[in-house]
Amino acid sequence: MTKVITKEDLLSWLRQLAEKYTVVAPVTSNGVTLYESISGSEVDKIDLSFSNTELSPKNLFFPPTEALFTIVQNERPEIIPAKVDREAIIFGVRPCDARGIALIDKAFLAEPADGFYKEKREKTTLVGLACSAPCPECFCTSVGSSPADPTHVDLLLIPTEAGYITQIVTDKCKQLLMGAPVKEAEAVQPSLPSLKSVPAEGITEVMSKVFNDPYWDRVADRCVHCNICAYVCPCCYCFDIRDYVSKGKIERVRSWESCQSAGFTRIAGGYDPRSTKGSRLRQRWYHKLLYFPEQFGDIKCTGCGRCVRSCPVNIDIREIINDVQRMRA
Amino acid sequence: MINEIRNKAKELLEKKRVECVIGYERATDGLTARPAFIYDPSEVDRLIFDETCVHNLSRFLIDKKHKATAIVAKPCDSRGINLLLNESQLKRENLFIIGVVCSGVKKVRFNQIEDSLQNKCQYCPQHVPSVYDFLVGEPVTETASRNYAEVTAIEDMTSADRKLFWAEHFDRCIRCYGCRQVCMGCYCYECFVDELDPLWAGIRIASSENRMWNTMRAFHLAGRCISCGECERVCPVNIPLMLLNRKLEKDTVHLFDFEPGINAETTPPFATFKKGEDLGISK
Repeated sequence: MTKVITKEDLLSWLRQLAEKYTVVAPVTSNGVTLYESISGSEVDKIDLSFSNTELSPKNLFFPPTEALFTIVQNERPEIIPAKVDREAIIFGVRPCDARGIALIDKAFLAEPADGFYKEKREKTTLVGLACSAPCPECFCTSVGSSPADPTHVDLLLIPTEAGYITQIVTDKCKQLLMGAPVKEAEAVQPSLPSLKSVPAEGITEVMSKVFNDPYWDRVADRCVHCNICAYVCPCCYCFDIRDYVSKGKIERVRSWESCQSAGFTRIAGGYDPRSTKGSRLRQRWYHKLLYFPEQFGDIKCTGCGRCVRSCPVNIDIREIINDVQRMRA
Repeated sequence: MINEIRNKAKELLEKKRVECVIGYERATDGLTARPAFIYDPSEVDRLIFDETCVHNLSRFLIDKKHKATAIVAKPCDSRGINLLLNESQLKRENLFIIGVVCSGVKKVRFNQIEDSLQNKCQYCPQHVPSVYDFLVGEPVTETASRNYAEVTAIEDMTSADRKLFWAEHFDRCIRCYGCRQVCMGCYCYECFVDELDPLWAGIRIASSENRMWNTMRAFHLAGRCISCGECERVCPVNIPLMLLNRKLEKDTVHLFDFEPGINAETTPPFATFKKGEDLGISK
């Protein structure tokens, strides 16, 4: 016997949770699936058969834009820090994306931790949903995860014909599950779908030797240097900070930025150490496949396939990894 | 067809007429296409041409500005080339244009070809490129006329409904600038949105800035957008950007009887001023 929650019970549980928590779940509209805040009366909007969302759940911890603090001019200037009021539950996180969050944790929670990220992280519970039908461009099994990997979620739901098998991972979710309509039932754990493999093992070593290879300029020929790959990525985390001054108020704002932007590394005086297309494109792969692993141990890719799907010109990380491995001489 | 393209590419590279041939090759899904840059005559067999060749390649000519380059051009690519020639961004003598007669390209996503044509092809009035040095395929007599049905549907909305319609779409925008980066018309050295002084729009990825960005970009393309639909195709959050561009195109056609990209000689309406010109706008 296994602990199982039926689809109807799952929705009513989420309805109940929405009274106390901010519930965020995948919703499909206008041809795209995105994580949205759901009120108790909206749980029927949740897309339970989605393959994966267009944008990753990193947005919930590292939002596209956030005010870090506001200074208000009263009699004395007053600094108002940003804070999270309500605890949140993200429902339907795929194992690859949960791993993406765990990778950002390494950078943002290393001391001194990023307080804004940390607060959101601590006040959020991740309810994972195992993949039964991965996309053709997925390769999570090649970068240390799998379609039903429970490692980085608080609770994992595995879809079966009898309902969702509930696999409790952390104490955080035990509390959440109290009073949830989970029943003992016969449910067979489905076999894991198989994924194409990508030779990511040992990539760091080769990367360290091919920095000056003309390969990067050739790939950059077709790159248009938009920020799509970085913004859809579950573990890219670069940002820019600016102050917004308006009457009686200054706001310090942090927004997403990407190493692909033309001005990303431009410094005072106008010099840009990464001014060519090739050097910018190379930076993305070097951060993912060399610098991050050197600093934190893992390669910075979860195999979710989003950049492969969304790139306007088919710059494919799987092809890059294969090509780089072939440069091993 | 593909042999003609490959042979011409080979000839141009061997005779050193051009340094690079920009065309299409098979993408990593084994199904769709991606832009290809061929420098070596021995690599011309990588080139393909079929109904998955959706990209507008004219955008890449900006990167090859002062170099002799050949390009495979569908009618929409050729309109992009004309726009760039007209705006003095390219020199005609540096270009060799391999025109391709096109009956439309399919809606594609990675690993997926749909059974219908791209939106841009549904309203494209051309099969034969506007400009070319060598034509592949049989020329046809053009009969199609422009159709703005989907634009009229938005015009017929009340202004309050229209505001809601666009607010919903623009609020999804993540300011990845995919639309700008694939556009041959967006070649500014520094885009207004990246300027710090004056600060036109901030870095916030939020409602008001997103609306500002998308509207300003559309206006900068008024009378210039050649309707290749690339911005809409690449948008990761599916914003129907061509509705905006097509509205401005409809107005430009109506007010000035001007369609960008048809030739490289006619001065575009917003690059000229005629004293006493009566557009009937304020009546």
